[in-house]
Amino acid sequence: MTDRADSTLGVFGAQSSLLPAGEGAAAALGLTNAMTLGGAAIFVIVMAFVWLAWRRQTGGRTWWILGGGVVFPLVVLALLFVASTGVLRAVAGGREDAALTIEVTGHQFWWDVVYDPGGLAIRDANEVVMPVGVPVRIVLKSEDVIHSFWVPKVAGKMDMIPGRVNETVMTATEAGRFRGQCAEFCGLSHPLMAFEMVAVPPDHFRAFLEDLQGDAADVAGPAARGREVFLEAGCAACHAVRGVAEGARLGPDLTRVGGRAALGAGMWPMNEGSLAGWIADVQDMKPGANMPSYAHLSGPDLRALAQWLGSLR
Amino acid sequence: MAVTDPETRTPYGGARKGEPGKTFDEIWQQPRGLRYWSAVSHQAVGKRFIVTGFCFFLIAGVLALLVRTQLIVPGNTFLDSETYNQVFTMHGTLMMFLFAIPILGGFAVYLIPMMLGARDLIFPRLGAFGYWCYLFGGIILMSSFLFDAAPDGGWFMYTPLSSNEYSPGAGPDFWLIGITFAEIASVATAVELIAAILCARAPGMSLTKMPIFAWYILIFAFMIAVGFPPLIIGSILLEAQRLLGLPFYDAALGGDPLLWQHLFWLFGHPEVYIIFLPAAGMVATMLPTFVGKPLFGYGFVVAAVISMGFISFGLWAHHMFATGLPILSLTLFSAASTMVAVPTGVQIFSFIATLAEARPRLTVPMHFILGFLFIFVLGGLTGVMLASVPFNLQAHDSYFVVAHLHYVLIGGMVFPLFGAFYYWAPLFTGRMMSEVLGRWVFWLMFTGFNLTFLLMHLTGMRGMPRRIATYPEGIGWDRLNLLSTLGSYILAAGVLLFVVDFIRHRRVGPHAGRNPWGAATLEWLYPLPNPNFNFHAIPAVRSREPLWDQPELTDRRAERIDGVLRGTADSRRETISCDPITGEPIQIARLPHPTWTPFFAALGLAVAFGALLASFYWISLAGLCFSVLVFLLWAWEPSDAGVLRPDGMGRTLPVDLADRRSHTHVVVVGLLLVLFALHASLIFGGLYLWNVVPDFAELTVRPLGLPLILAAGAALAMAVAGTVARRWALSERIGASGAMSGLTALLAAGTTAALGWAILPVSPFDTALGAVIWATVTFVAVLSAAAVLWGLFNLARDLTGATRPGQARHAFNLATYAKGLAAMALATAGLLLAFALTGGA
Repeated sequence: MTDRADSTLGVFGAQSSLLPAGEGAAAALGLTNAMTLGGAAIFVIVMAFVWLAWRRQTGGRTWWILGGGVVFPLVVLALLFVASTGVLRAVAGGREDAALTIEVTGHQFWWDVVYDPGGLAIRDANEVVMPVGVPVRIVLKSEDVIHSFWVPKVAGKMDMIPGRVNETVMTATEAGRFRGQCAEFCGLSHPLMAFEMVAVPPDHFRAFLEDLQGDAADVAGPAARGREVFLEAGCAACHAVRGVAEGARLGPDLTRVGGRAALGAGMWPMNEGSLAGWIADVQDMKPGANMPSYAHLSGPDLRALAQWLGSLR
Repeated sequence: MAVTDPETRTPYGGARKGEPGKTFDEIWQQPRGLRYWSAVSHQAVGKRFIVTGFCFFLIAGVLALLVRTQLIVPGNTFLDSETYNQVFTMHGTLMMFLFAIPILGGFAVYLIPMMLGARDLIFPRLGAFGYWCYLFGGIILMSSFLFDAAPDGGWFMYTPLSSNEYSPGAGPDFWLIGITFAEIASVATAVELIAAILCARAPGMSLTKMPIFAWYILIFAFMIAVGFPPLIIGSILLEAQRLLGLPFYDAALGGDPLLWQHLFWLFGHPEVYIIFLPAAGMVATMLPTFVGKPLFGYGFVVAAVISMGFISFGLWAHHMFATGLPILSLTLFSAASTMVAVPTGVQIFSFIATLAEARPRLTVPMHFILGFLFIFVLGGLTGVMLASVPFNLQAHDSYFVVAHLHYVLIGGMVFPLFGAFYYWAPLFTGRMMSEVLGRWVFWLMFTGFNLTFLLMHLTGMRGMPRRIATYPEGIGWDRLNLLSTLGSYILAAGVLLFVVDFIRHRRVGPHAGRNPWGAATLEWLYPLPNPNFNFHAIPAVRSREPLWDQPELTDRRAERIDGVLRGTADSRRETISCDPITGEPIQIARLPHPTWTPFFAALGLAVAFGALLASFYWISLAGLCFSVLVFLLWAWEPSDAGVLRPDGMGRTLPVDLADRRSHTHVVVVGLLLVLFALHASLIFGGLYLWNVVPDFAELTVRPLGLPLILAAGAALAMAVAGTVARRWALSERIGASGAMSGLTALLAAGTTAALGWAILPVSPFDTALGAVIWATVTFVAVLSAAAVLWGLFNLARDLTGATRPGQARHAFNLATYAKGLAAMALATAGLLLAFALTGGA
């Protein structure tokens, strides 16, 4: 199962396209390296031309213009075009053989995640768990403005556009947690709209899905009071917790909120302290979010609520 | 100095006198004091554009420093998100719309007449009007800060983020209205530059003998005329959606947010080349001066610039690779995007070949040219990388793109521009800027620039997206951002030092004398500072490098150089106007003296736009009417067409020719080009929605067939009438041409009425396609209203004797306009008919 201790917060390279852990990212990195080296070589050659032209008054030659300006670029561009189209077909093709589908819907400023829509349709949020080495069809939608789904370590980005459905296939090649972030400017808290993609071995993934299908764990003790607060304070108007309050879709599904590694769409470490801070002070932590700050909750209620939410895994 | 030619003192054919009793110098004197602002001459207007543009550059630069300061450490709280979003939005907006295009336009306005051998632009008032629109548009946009409503949706204003629902404040309105206003300025300036370059050159300056800068500006102007309309239309539609609720981009009613992106980038990508071309033209002009040899490969460069103009309109979608376009589109746009490397390469290698022609002088402008080569070539190479789709999907909207675009725009435009300031400052002020400080400016800017932006390539590859106010600590972006911020301060220090040097040189810089750089082009003909009239007599030009190849231009005092139009016949400002291709003089163009009409015309529009923002619609309408009234006054002036005057070199030329080569006709054709582009943008929108959202196209009620056929018939009749009217106007049948003006007005009104009738059943509020249909017909209606007004105006002028019998230039021009209008009306009716015939509810 996913372990929340190893969140990507503060991990060097967690969002770097230069350290690929997916097929798309690896293919793009190959192109990147080739083009960077080639580009650097061309740059040096052109600058050498400038230097020589400056030093020696040989007079201009028409073949410089035709050779350097027409023939050479055409040859290089043709090669590049072939390579790049090849990679594109490899990356973008193969949608048919993806057995698993995950639907992600962008909201200001969080991600609604549905595993196997049409089939099981299990809802979660702000974390995308997928099996290693298996192509996964990612279906991308938006319910408000344009967002863009990007996990640089796994694959290139794809926009989420209201009124449209975009599809891409991603294959993680390594197990681990990779940071993703919204790449299309989407408003006030655009910088705070991140998530984590968690690649796990296929059998772990099956266990995860089974686990996720069930209702939220019931608890006793002071945390049980938190469940009452959740219902009394009206949280259920927007948030669903399977087995406690179902159906609401305005906010992230909280059935396993305590099991996520980060809070606030990949932004803060998940623990009771930050949960309590979040509930009391959302608008300060995430300006423009649709959830109001619940600063009026009493200290004990707030603690109980945070405790209860933290126990939902 | 006194007018010596006795011929000019004799009255000919009873033409009106301009300002009798004034000498040539006095007639060209800039007005002083407050009346300076009524000056419309290209020197005044060009300087205004340049100074205002530079002010916007400084403001936008300060905003950039705020951005960099916010990003200096992770999780910074220097600016809150809202302010940060406003700051980066305004940084991009000011740089792209209120700095880059206007300041380059300003240089063109200032330099083109001097380089081409004209005393002024051929439509000085149009340039002045453009400036005021630009200034007022800029003020409207900047005033949003005062109302705490600065736009914060990015310079690209993507919808639905910029729609009422997600941006309920006035921010997007300020942006859409202010920018559209400023764009009208750019388009006006562009049309004016096209006419000036084609119609007002020195005798003998054929197109192939034009200085290379004029070619660059000609293509620049054509690209603005065609490239800005998509955004103007896009913005008007978005504003209409916000104000009236027409669902152009609303996915719930069959609109498409991507339609905005298509229209925006149809403008936005050519925009990049629009910014690059004049700057490259500056390089191509300065470089030969310092090498001491002509530009190598002039013909190749001209061909490259023209092909760049065309290619740049075919690759807008590479800004949209991540939006889910089909693979075939991705592949095609990727190929088209890389193709632009060819004309760019041709220009770069032509510059390099020029360097090899002789030992170059390492002056300050030359530093900036070398800096341009270094930075721009790098930016071009990363541009080719971005054209590769799989790479683009990683790099898009990351700091890699931020790095790339600044390499291209700062390298391709700002560095040449600063070189140009050092190079042409003596023209503006008569003094030289400092060679020592200039080197400091260059090295500070060059070092600071590369430190800031070279690292950003890596920051982007490490996954940092653009437009984020804060970033988390420790994932690999901290140190890179710190260094980038430090670099930006160094860059800013360079700019600051430049400002200091500029202010300093105006008082203590050494006097420039005559042709201080040893340049080859005509703007350096006179001792500096340049006289207001540019040329006492306009010399004949036989070479592309007249100051190098024509000794008669340099072996005597400037005012003694032989040429046409010495002195002033009829005590009026005038210049020689030529055949667009050969450069042979065909007419004498009368130029306006200082006047307030452009100011008031723009002021009326400013009131109209400002009131629109404040939702005072009646005031808005009043401002618009006031503006139209001022335009009518502007155009009313009695015509001198038909008067014959000697040109001073043995020819007798007509004043204000009525002919298709006449400048007034060329400007009508330029205007039609803009209108066609506007109309085509609407048609594109309609066809796009019809094709992309077919379900809603089915739901859209069909227009009525019969009135559409009537409209098509009326439009055809208008085209025939236009053709006949043009012939009659040329054959000088004055009465008949007046009647044709009336008939044109009638047919235009008829066409519009029929189109309006046809779309009555279609609701503009139910589907986006219906809204586009209404917008298109409204557009044709507005153009028809203009035709009606124009026809009545011509009739009134004929009846009051304001036009000379036998000279029907005004009727000729209206007839051309009517033909263009007929083509647009016909296309509209035809497409609506096709839509009406394809089923539907």
